[in-house]
Amino acid sequence: MNRRSFMSWGTAGVAALCSAVGVSLGAVGRFLTPSVFYEPPQTFKIGKPADFPFGSPTFLVDEKIFVFRHREKGFAVASAVCTHLGCTVKYFQSDQDFHCPCHGSIYSANGTVLHGPAPRPLNWFEITLAPDGQLRVDKNKIVPPTYRLMV
Amino acid sequence: MNLIREIWRSIVRRDPLSTDKGKSELVFLNVWLHIHPAKVKKENIKFRYSFYLGFITFFLFLILLTTGIALMFYYRPYPSVAYQDMKDLQFAVFMGPFLRNMHRWAAQAMVLCVFLHMCRVFYTGSYKKPRQFNWVIGVMLLLLTLGLSFTGYLLPWDQLAYWAITVGTNIGSYAPLVGGRLRELLLGGHTVGEAALIRFYVLHVAILPSLVILLTIVHFWRVRKDGGLSRPLWKLKPRKTEALVTIGAPAEVAPLHVAAASPDKTYGLMEVVTGKPIFETVTPEEEEDTVFSYPYAFVREAVALMATVTTVMTVSLFFNAPLEEMANPAITPNPAKAPWYFLGLQELVSHSALLGGVVIPALMVIALLAIPYMDRNPSRRPRDRKWALWVFTFFVVANVALIIIGTFFRGPGWAWVPPWVHVVARPE
Amino acid sequence: MERRLQQAFFALSLLALVLILAAEWQASSPSWKNYQRKYLQLESEEEPNAASKAAVLATPLAINQAILPGLQRVDRCTTCHLGVEDPTMKNAPEPFRYHAGLGPHVPSKFGCTICHGGQGLATDMKDAHGNVVFWQTPLLPANYIRASCGRCHKEGNVPGVPELTEGRHLFETEGCHGCHKLNGVGGSIGPDLTEEGANHRSPQWLVRHFLAPNVVSPGSAMPNFHFTGEQARALTYFMLSLTSQDMGSYYSSMQLIPSPEFGRQLFVEKDCIVCHAIGGVGAKSGPDLLAVTKRHSAEWLDEQLVNPQLVYPGSSMPEYDLESNARKAIIAFLASATREDAQEIMARKGHPLTPEDAAIEAGKQDFARFGCAGCHGTELQGGVPNPNAQGEQVPSLLHVSDDYTKDEVIAIIRDGKVPPLDNPKGSAPPLYMPSWKTVLSNEDINHIADFLWSKQQKKESW
Repeated sequence: MNRRSFMSWGTAGVAALCSAVGVSLGAVGRFLTPSVFYEPPQTFKIGKPADFPFGSPTFLVDEKIFVFRHREKGFAVASAVCTHLGCTVKYFQSDQDFHCPCHGSIYSANGTVLHGPAPRPLNWFEITLAPDGQLRVDKNKIVPPTYRLMV
Repeated sequence: MNLIREIWRSIVRRDPLSTDKGKSELVFLNVWLHIHPAKVKKENIKFRYSFYLGFITFFLFLILLTTGIALMFYYRPYPSVAYQDMKDLQFAVFMGPFLRNMHRWAAQAMVLCVFLHMCRVFYTGSYKKPRQFNWVIGVMLLLLTLGLSFTGYLLPWDQLAYWAITVGTNIGSYAPLVGGRLRELLLGGHTVGEAALIRFYVLHVAILPSLVILLTIVHFWRVRKDGGLSRPLWKLKPRKTEALVTIGAPAEVAPLHVAAASPDKTYGLMEVVTGKPIFETVTPEEEEDTVFSYPYAFVREAVALMATVTTVMTVSLFFNAPLEEMANPAITPNPAKAPWYFLGLQELVSHSALLGGVVIPALMVIALLAIPYMDRNPSRRPRDRKWALWVFTFFVVANVALIIIGTFFRGPGWAWVPPWVHVVARPE
Repeated sequence: MERRLQQAFFALSLLALVLILAAEWQASSPSWKNYQRKYLQLESEEEPNAASKAAVLATPLAINQAILPGLQRVDRCTTCHLGVEDPTMKNAPEPFRYHAGLGPHVPSKFGCTICHGGQGLATDMKDAHGNVVFWQTPLLPANYIRASCGRCHKEGNVPGVPELTEGRHLFETEGCHGCHKLNGVGGSIGPDLTEEGANHRSPQWLVRHFLAPNVVSPGSAMPNFHFTGEQARALTYFMLSLTSQDMGSYYSSMQLIPSPEFGRQLFVEKDCIVCHAIGGVGAKSGPDLLAVTKRHSAEWLDEQLVNPQLVYPGSSMPEYDLESNARKAIIAFLASATREDAQEIMARKGHPLTPEDAAIEAGKQDFARFGCAGCHGTELQGGVPNPNAQGEQVPSLLHVSDDYTKDEVIAIIRDGKVPPLDNPKGSAPPLYMPSWKTVLSNEDINHIADFLWSKQQKKESW
């Protein structure tokens, strides 16, 4: 028996096995990559304009947004997610600013950072009026804080 | 380059495999490969003797462990969502069906292989002194395997699962005094519901696998300590008390003291490779009978591993694991059958609940556990133990026959329906 | 031998590699991807230039799903049926065709399977369309899909589905309640029908069953009601709509569609004509309601119906406890109400009933509502076959006063009665008089007895 070829079959086997394991690991990676998402959509309707009061913003818990309705200036939607590490900020009507409970970031009423550690101002989302008369928010579309929807 | 070599040497500390020392070191410097001694008896690694059933069972368990952990990422043990998760695995998750199939078919195969392994151990008499207690551990592993399969059966939360578990747990409830309590404890209620699902889930993914791993370690360790894999002893020639020869002693060293080998001592190679001037001393017959574990044993086991894996993969590629409609407590399929390995029991229960559901299975388990202690016959030669072989064979055949009857010959209302007869459902 | 084993190891490892690649290939080529590619191809043909064509074709493929907790389902149908909401796909081949006439029933809010049936979670055609083992709600045949409207719209008229209204009407008038329970009310001779729509019977089976119960279910106690084909279809529609599944608040708020027909019914029920006129026909104490929707907005009218005094301080209009869909229905009726409607309503109004007549009328309603008519006939004629009962059929009730006193009849209704056997050795007849005391109040039973006595005929003298 030729010893060299005797060993090489085993080595080839190990090589084939390793590549099979490698491919399997890749497959596991794809297996774990989510193919469907069970979460609220990024674009959603929040109700009729009349459902929102003037003055202090309405906080929508599931969507994590503040809906502002100004008497003359119309609708605007601010993200309630702190730009620092993703905590949910709270709005204080008395000081007209947002406070993050996690690390003390403070944002002004138009979202600019008044106090660190937040690196960026709060996001403002596009709000439009759908043909059925409902307000529609698109979290994929970030707009400047001056954006207003007039109804 | 030196650094790389140094790192490599820190990982692989053995000599090259071309040397006998390297082959030995490969085995006992490695925590996993040390399952074998450096050299094994040729008879140990004969496929025709053990059929590698123990290994195959273990490999199936490894498949179950890996696929099971993968499936856990997509499974929530709550009735309505559990079924939805199964559908997600079927329709949305990448390779979800394949992994679930592998898990399902490997589980069925493992039940079968544990049973066959047990039969092999019995027929070769390998449970005899000093391995009596290892047989007991093996029986426990058999029971744990059945438990794992049974608890896993419920998790898809389809009609098949729901009614198999309803029927299966009711078999147990016939035990006097404790039966009802036991069922209540297992189900967390009186019917199979959300409490039962979470209990079965915890048993299936945490408690039972941990026990199997623990007992498997003990099982393997004891095999190793009791002289390695079981082999047909009667094929060995009787020991002679002749002078031993020393193997591999350096030529310039003075001949060592030669002593008669004691039949009670196991001689190892450790002394050789640790550099101590003691050399393995074995009888010439034994020396002829041993080979290095690497590659002789490992290549066989590798072949067994790959054969097991590829078989399970092939089956999984072409046959889908069953998933029926969502569990519905209001509609009982007719007949409602337990998992196949319990159908022998169900068949017995259909004749007598107490006798078939409790007394006979309890006696069977006790008898299985007691086999090594009841069988006082020290010989492992088949011709010396005809009686034991016949009794065991009778029970095996009876068990298999009952399972076959329950699986293929029972139709609606547990009536006798051969598989070639098609039953039309009775109109409502 | 050793060489052989090494070769076997190599071969098996290679096989494992091939198998895992095969499994990956199997998993990465699901049929929905082909459909999505075809759809993108179709869409890109509309694009004006190569760049935008390429952009469309490069859209990532993904499973689309509507998560519908309110309907307890997740529908992935739009993974392949991509053009459902795109009017430009009006003439596209299936599965891409536009779904006309959806109205408010958009897939993102309703999914597809609540109306069509099928398996929403599935992502290949065979499984999704549900004609597979172990899936019990396959796609409904096209001419029965509208039966599903009744799953949410459980009351009143459903516009465009006359079969459903007809089926509900037949169920009430033919006395089905006498034997069948529906939402907890009804007899126990036949099966409970509350979940009939979820019982996954095919429409064809149901139709055949209604035409000839005994042929489809041998030994069934259900009499043959000699329904016409259309009636059987209507009842099938009703059966397919029956489910006790909780539809979530958004969906169940539409149990009752605010249709003009229902508004008219309410208008009659609430006796609006007592104060109001339409086009001069009716009373003059309130304003004339002809074209009232042109004078006031719907919101204004709605507010008026909720709280009349708030809108018109000092108004003598009472507050009616109407739910919002009922108010909408009345407003919808008023939008189209004419002088002729008022005349018809006035003509039907008739005279107030005497207490005796009222009791008989109530008894008549109960007789129909609780399903007595199912066995005893709408005209009390009886005659439904009942093997081995005396006379082999359910007795007529036109002559009970000859054999029983009123109190005895009341006792029979209350406690039930097993009919005397024709052949004492034979099996019990399938139909029997159930005990009604848990369902009917004493008052109801008295009313029914009054009704029966009002219908008695004298036996022909010998």
